[in-house]
Amino acid sequence: MEHSLFSKPRDLFLDVVNPKDYVQIDSIAHIYQSLKSSVQKPLKMILLFGRPGTGKSMLLHKLHHDLSKHQKVFMFDIPIVDEDDFLRVLAERIFAYSPRETMTLTRFLEIAEAVSYTDVPIVLLDEAQLYSSSLMEKIRLISDARVIKFVITLHKTDKEEIIAKEHFQTRIWESIELHNATAEELKIYIQKKLLKANCFDVANMFNDKNIKLVASLTKGNFRETNKLLFSLFSLYCWYEENNPALIQYNALKSKWIEMAAIHTGLIHA
Amino acid sequence: MLNIQNLERRWLKYKIKFYAPYILGLIALLTLLIAVTYSKKSDTDEAKESIASPSKSTHEASSTVLEPSMDFVRSFQTTLPMNETPKAPLQKNAQPVREPLPVAKLVSTPPPDLSDEKSFSLNRTESKLDIETLERRFKETSNANLGLFIARYHYDHGNYSEAYNFALKTNSISNKIEESWIIFAKSLVKLGRAEQAKKTLQFYITDSNSEAARSLLDTIERGTFK
Repeated sequence: MEHSLFSKPRDLFLDVVNPKDYVQIDSIAHIYQSLKSSVQKPLKMILLFGRPGTGKSMLLHKLHHDLSKHQKVFMFDIPIVDEDDFLRVLAERIFAYSPRETMTLTRFLEIAEAVSYTDVPIVLLDEAQLYSSSLMEKIRLISDARVIKFVITLHKTDKEEIIAKEHFQTRIWESIELHNATAEELKIYIQKKLLKANCFDVANMFNDKNIKLVASLTKGNFRETNKLLFSLFSLYCWYEENNPALIQYNALKSKWIEMAAIHTGLIHA
Repeated sequence: MLNIQNLERRWLKYKIKFYAPYILGLIALLTLLIAVTYSKKSDTDEAKESIASPSKSTHEASSTVLEPSMDFVRSFQTTLPMNETPKAPLQKNAQPVREPLPVAKLVSTPPPDLSDEKSFSLNRTESKLDIETLERRFKETSNANLGLFIARYHYDHGNYSEAYNFALKTNSISNKIEESWIIFAKSLVKLGRAEQAKKTLQFYITDSNSEAARSLLDTIERGTFK
């Protein structure tokens, strides 16, 4: 199994958010540049929203990875839903202040004013839809006080769009929407990922028919694509070990892609 | 861990599910097509039958209608043979033979213009349809004027035997129509029975003292009849 042709590609598609695995796709690269330039503007809040699996978290991690070299950027990829905890952690990480008393918004703003950085620190909040409305209101007030610049990601659903409207629409902020990948973008994503890891043989096995099938099954969702391809290469690993005669090295088998989709739950059979 | 056998089984189930609507749709479509084709075929057969039966009946009817007329012609021919012109009716009003009238006075319908071949054939077709109707009507009504019209039509169109027949029929219905006798005689000449035409005309002239008949007789006798 260790020397399998398909084990390395399989591991490439493990669904983990790692900025080093970031794959440059034209549309996302454009969004990323616009996000980076927005961060440099005197905006209070930047909203990054889109359907699940459109690459919001990856983009946020990439931004954190790139900006952290030059300025104070803090990443909160796991939401802290308790308001007191949230303000306490924020004060601790940004201002290096560990309060013993209960952290209120007023107290937090006092600390922020006392520290007063020349460059406004940036806080990246992933999965912001999990925060309560009152906490979101506090986040808005903090950003209004211009002590912290927030970049938040939201899932684009009806409910979450209401949150976005209620809390942020009247504020000075920028919103960037991410869309699901097209078949062409998905092809670039898969092949770039494979080529980056020197999996040339496997990259060449993807033809347009295979890509179309993957795109139709995952609907351009990067997370689902990763899951599907992980299962697919797991299948290939199994066949390589147990029945190698069935493997065609010039193209991927549609049947096995569908079997992987059944395994990941993309097809209900 | 992957359970390949289970996955393969589920995949097969999925493919069957996936293609089932298409297969069912195809079967439904084929069934529909077959049904439509069959119904069309049966409709065509019925139509053919319906077309065939009226034509038969029409044919039969037309032959039935024709038969009496032919019988009549035959009976007429037996009573009035070609070589012998009818005597009985003519003898009654027998009058001395007058001088023949000049040929120029003969009333003859100008022949159809054949310069435009297409329009001619088209008119002919339409007329043919009309004349068939008229012939049917004549057989039903035995109207002498209609018989004359048909005889004239046939003569104008060069159907001399038909013109002869209808003129004969018309004469048998009414022996007082001058033009019918003229057409009868002219048709005989055209059919190569000039002698019979002459005799007929002589008898008719004797009976009716017709100037037109006399003129025609004169023309025939001089050999200037065209």
